[in-house]
Amino acid sequence: MESEFLSAGFLSALFAIVLIDLVLAGDNALIIGLVARNLPKTTQRKVIFWGTFGAIAVRAVMAILVVYILDLPGFMLAGGLALVWIARKLLTPEEPGSESHLVKGPATSFAGAIRTIVIADAVMGIDNVLAIGGAATGSILLIVLGLAISVPIIVWGSQLVIRLVDRFPSVVLLGGAVLAWTGYSMVVREPLLASWFAGHPATKLVAVILIFSISLAPWYTARMSEETRPLVAILPGVLVWLLGFEIAGSVWTLQMDYLRTTDTGEYMLEAVRWLGWLPLVGAYLWLRERLMLRRDQPVRG
Amino acid sequence: MLLIRHSSQANNAVRTTSVGGELFVASVVICMILASFGDAVDPAMFGEAGLEFALFDFGGELSVLAMRHWHLLQLLLAGAVLGAGLVVLRVGAASLIKPLRPADRRAAEKVPIRL
Repeated sequence: MESEFLSAGFLSALFAIVLIDLVLAGDNALIIGLVARNLPKTTQRKVIFWGTFGAIAVRAVMAILVVYILDLPGFMLAGGLALVWIARKLLTPEEPGSESHLVKGPATSFAGAIRTIVIADAVMGIDNVLAIGGAATGSILLIVLGLAISVPIIVWGSQLVIRLVDRFPSVVLLGGAVLAWTGYSMVVREPLLASWFAGHPATKLVAVILIFSISLAPWYTARMSEETRPLVAILPGVLVWLLGFEIAGSVWTLQMDYLRTTDTGEYMLEAVRWLGWLPLVGAYLWLRERLMLRRDQPVRG
Repeated sequence: MLLIRHSSQANNAVRTTSVGGELFVASVVICMILASFGDAVDPAMFGEAGLEFALFDFGGELSVLAMRHWHLLQLLLAGAVLGAGLVVLRVGAASLIKPLRPADRRAAEKVPIRL
């Protein structure tokens, strides 16, 4: 699906790519610095240059690969689900200044340093490249622009990103929402599911609410009181329940349209579909309360 | 490690984000869900129910059914308008409700005189 150059679709995809680049930019400078700190001064300069070059080369190769991979059946769905997880990870608060687990220690040789930098960048850049691939909707021009924007951020833009999110912390939340929206559009674009979604259009609405409720859950969990916190699990649970019946109806060719139900069995199925989640929610709330009471008991005793 | 994790404000964004910023993002998410709703409903079904005017022709392009074709920038703009509308509504409602609130019992006897 190619958008016309400078059309609303093109500019929207470009905006999504810029936002994704900002919120998912990895700290390559820190990795390079950590790896090169114990090397001699002359080797350090070489490591910084080739490390940056390697990071950019890896990013370019991954961007090209992601265009072809997303064309394969099933990968669009997998990529969309991965973006939901990435959005969750983005919105989960993290301890400031935590050490990168990608670097075990300073390198002792030039080759070892370059290898560590390239592997670290590949791991850090997967989410970024995948999100850009999803937002670009198959446009090579947008992928190239995404790469052209992310490379300066890798090399020089770290302070700019930190200053931006310091001034506007809501950019993080907006980034999470755009990632979730990109994930949803990737799921509904999946070729294996296209005909199913065409036959079950209402499930798109269930899918989008499900994706947003899972992606933004870490953010709103931190805001909610202890009493309302179960909603974060109940809402996606109920939506999965409804979606499960829709999928089961397609797999076993069951009558899932309540306007077309005719016999008692079908009416029973409809009742289970619309009300069956209530006892499960009750059981979940009861179990949660019991566990919380058990957890609090030793503290009181 | 993500670059944004170096910012204490962004790391603790759930507490440092302004109410306005959060309202804007929430409005954008609502618009995204509405766009998906426009994509999910069958226009013929609403036509049969006589509800087509509720969803179709609210000024031509500005309807839930037309939102299915909206791009991210349009959704962001709509989110900003919705957020601003909600703020205006809140301020308006507060200015209406405030005079209806009974005065404090201790202050009931006192007449506020301003010269």
